[in-house]
Amino acid sequence: MSRFSVVPSGDESPEGATRPVPLEQLLRRAATGDETAFAELYDAVSSRLFGLVRRVVRDPAQSEEVTQEVFLEIWRHSARFDPSKGAALAWMLTIAHRKAVDRVRSAEASRNRDEGYGASNQDVTHDSTAEAVVERLDAERVHRALETLTPVQRQALELAYLSGYTHTEVATMLDLPLGTAKTRIRDGLIRLRDTLGVTL
Amino acid sequence: MSEDIHALSGAYAVDALDDVERARFERHLAGCPACRAEVDGLVAAASELSVLTEAAPPASLRAKVLAEIATVRPLPPLTAPQAESGDDAVTSAPPAPSQPAAEAAPAESHGDQGRHADELSERRRSRSARGLARGWRVVVAAATVAVLAMGGFTVWRQIDKDPSRALADQVLAAPDATRYGARLAGGATATIVRSTSLQKAVIVTSGMAQPPTGKVFQLWLQDATGHMTSAGLMPGGGDQVVVLSGDASHSKGAGITVEPAGGSDQPTTNPIAFVAFA
Repeated sequence: MSRFSVVPSGDESPEGATRPVPLEQLLRRAATGDETAFAELYDAVSSRLFGLVRRVVRDPAQSEEVTQEVFLEIWRHSARFDPSKGAALAWMLTIAHRKAVDRVRSAEASRNRDEGYGASNQDVTHDSTAEAVVERLDAERVHRALETLTPVQRQALELAYLSGYTHTEVATMLDLPLGTAKTRIRDGLIRLRDTLGVTL
Repeated sequence: MSEDIHALSGAYAVDALDDVERARFERHLAGCPACRAEVDGLVAAASELSVLTEAAPPASLRAKVLAEIATVRPLPPLTAPQAESGDDAVTSAPPAPSQPAAEAAPAESHGDQGRHADELSERRRSRSARGLARGWRVVVAAATVAVLAMGGFTVWRQIDKDPSRALADQVLAAPDATRYGARLAGGATATIVRSTSLQKAVIVTSGMAQPPTGKVFQLWLQDATGHMTSAGLMPGGGDQVVVLSGDASHSKGAGITVEPAGGSDQPTTNPIAFVAFA
């Protein structure tokens, strides 16, 4: 699980303490129109959401546009987040991913698609050293989990999730028989889920 | 299109299905708790990958986001099918036209973004009162409606035997189903799926806007002489799956136009999308 979802979400914990306010609670407050809570939410997740969107969309200006749409959608739908179905961060990432994929599959985006990703790469900025360490550990954990996948599972999953291709496109790109890429993606995700010990 | 549909759960969890496959799988999800549970877990697993792509957005984005949300009211909780708004991420049936009044009244003016504490608490009070009213409606509605949640999205679906839904499913899964795609302004897509053996066509849309105020989207089938016959109205907003009325087996094309409320006998505007069944 990510560091966000290990924080219990049920009770109203005192604010202003060193412990960050759980994302679930910030979402609940946002649903009542609390803009301060939403600003706090933005600060907590904007790097995760923007980073994912930019990885899929690649064009920096469009990535920014999509990320803005994502936050508007999170704000509008905050009352509809259902904590019994998963962590708040996963819910927000789902919205971000879907919007990024929709954008990249639209005709306008395809023009910019093949421009170099590295050219516009911005370094991750960290607020504190402690946070940077936690993030690096998270990343290492995910890297190790990915190493347990077969090369084809890993490639299929990365092309689908991080590059936004359909399973049919992935099959063509990896020279797999039509219909097997979706199985590789599913098998890879299941292994990732089990290795990371993801629970809902 | 008759492969084991359960196997699509992974591709669905990472948005690797095309619009038609996604529509089909979401229909399957409505009746398959095992797939729903699996999808939730796979979505959570996939979202862990985003730790590898973290990147801080430009500092200017924060102010833009916060300025924008200040002008928009969050949607009410989704507690009854009446409350479903047309632009939800996943909808499959036309939203019921009832209950718009309470939702439509804007709680804040767009011009004045200044906030007072008592204004806010007043809004909270009225919100919780409306929440109670909705809670009551839930009890009434619960008999015919099931909640489906995917990755935290909660979607209301009619799971009783809706003949048009069943027909759409048959067309989408028909062995002779043929797809024709069209792209709409603003990046939305429309795919017409036709089965000649079933004599029916279904339209699957993704990311479609709402029609202008006072207007509707109307569907058309074109015959060999170029004549357009109305195939019914369709809701706008988000993702839709709608069966075109009429026999589509001999049609040469299908289109969508924007028409005055209630629809027209003949198209009065140029189609916003048209596909030829070539």
